[in-house]
Amino acid sequence: MHDAAVLKGTNDGYEIILDDQSDLGEALAGLRRLLENLRDQAASGISQAISFDIQTGRRLLAAEDRSKIETIFSDFSSFSVHKVTSDVITKEESNRILEQESVHVIDQIIRNGQEIHIQGDVLFLGKIHEGGKLFVGGNIYVLGDVHGIIQAGYPDLEDKMIIGDVHNAQQVRIGEQYEILDDTNTKISENTVVYVNDLHVLDYGKVESLKQINPKFFNRIGGVING
Amino acid sequence: MGKAYVITSGKGGVGKTTSSANIGTALAMLGKKVCLMDLDIGLRNLDVVLGLDNRIMYDIVDVATGRAKLAQALVKDKRFDDLLYLLPAAQNTDKTALNEEQVVQIVNELKPDFDYVLIDCPAGIEQGFMNAIAGADSAIIVTTPEISAVRDADRVVGLLEQHPLTEEPHLIINRIRTHMMKDGSVMDVDEITHHLGVELLGIVFDDDAVITTSNKGEPIVLQAENPAGQGYRDIARRLEGESVPLMEMKDEVHPSFWQKVTNWFKKG
Repeated sequence: MHDAAVLKGTNDGYEIILDDQSDLGEALAGLRRLLENLRDQAASGISQAISFDIQTGRRLLAAEDRSKIETIFSDFSSFSVHKVTSDVITKEESNRILEQESVHVIDQIIRNGQEIHIQGDVLFLGKIHEGGKLFVGGNIYVLGDVHGIIQAGYPDLEDKMIIGDVHNAQQVRIGEQYEILDDTNTKISENTVVYVNDLHVLDYGKVESLKQINPKFFNRIGGVING
Repeated sequence: MGKAYVITSGKGGVGKTTSSANIGTALAMLGKKVCLMDLDIGLRNLDVVLGLDNRIMYDIVDVATGRAKLAQALVKDKRFDDLLYLLPAAQNTDKTALNEEQVVQIVNELKPDFDYVLIDCPAGIEQGFMNAIAGADSAIIVTTPEISAVRDADRVVGLLEQHPLTEEPHLIINRIRTHMMKDGSVMDVDEITHHLGVELLGIVFDDDAVITTSNKGEPIVLQAENPAGQGYRDIARRLEGESVPLMEMKDEVHPSFWQKVTNWFKKG
């Protein structure tokens, strides 16, 4: 009979693999046996606490099953759980990641009183009329016409940016920072990067200076390869 | 089977009721059978503009609640034999007295008997607006060159995009003052049409006679020479599928000194 819980050493420490083919109860029983063996072997030698990663393979554990693992570990004073990982994610989670990681092309008119919410980055080709609102979780690249309110990093991410022509907008917002453009004396050009600077204040720069403004972002869009 | 148009604007006072009355009358003048439906419950005006306020026996709420038959509530305009009818709004209750299904039912009952059912929508975007668009096949959005009216029209177009009707909406730009549009102090016709992204159905010039005729209960379209009346007659023809060019914006004629003198002699 093979063991439902197997100990493996990795570069980062110790990993316990719970067999995803066997019954969960069996796997947990195997885990307990394994830990008991380890304790008996280590009783003489090692005195320091050991933290394990638990790998569940192609099995997703519900919160209550995770707590069962915690309960098992609580019986062993010198062992603890570092993290529980698995090789699979739910469809819900994968959709969320897709949504968040892709650039969405929006080319509609956002009219007075309408609000559009989008996770991830947006390439905006449409029009935002006065009184229309576009709230985006990631960055916004504006090629369209903005006369309303535009927000990147919704609701509170300050490392996002708006790139493009926003000089006609009513307000620009990034994370929790906002500016009413009527009140600013800054003359915004048509190729503007709106970002939050180190002092947590909205600032405007030129697209040419993107590398200085946000090197991480610059690298992501190919700055490293190009230069 | 006729078609139902809702005449709406969002903002109040831009001329929804005047437009309803005049487009309805102009269509009747073209020989079409028209029913005007007033949904501005509690603040009805369409009957007054048409000069039919003294003939009302029952209203739309009576019909919806079964107190009267539809045929009993319809008020006939005697100037156009058997072509123009009004279904008046109730005066003693408010917009929540009707719901969307009731309006749809009444409109569907009217459509087989009429070529056009024109629904006069109340201002605002609450229940009254929802009732008015529920029964319509298409919308006519009325705006004026004022920014506030255009903003509200924009809002209404947005709402119509969320509850799409069978046909795309149309736009009327009302109360155009030629000199203000020419000197650029208000948005011009192209700017408004382009901004709203709605097909232009017609333009109507601002004219004092619109108010005086409305006070007398005679729609302006009945005056052959009046430019505002002309605007509404063109709109009716376009609804009928004719292609009519937009009216030109002429400067208001200010008679010169010598013309005044000549006129004076002519009078004598």
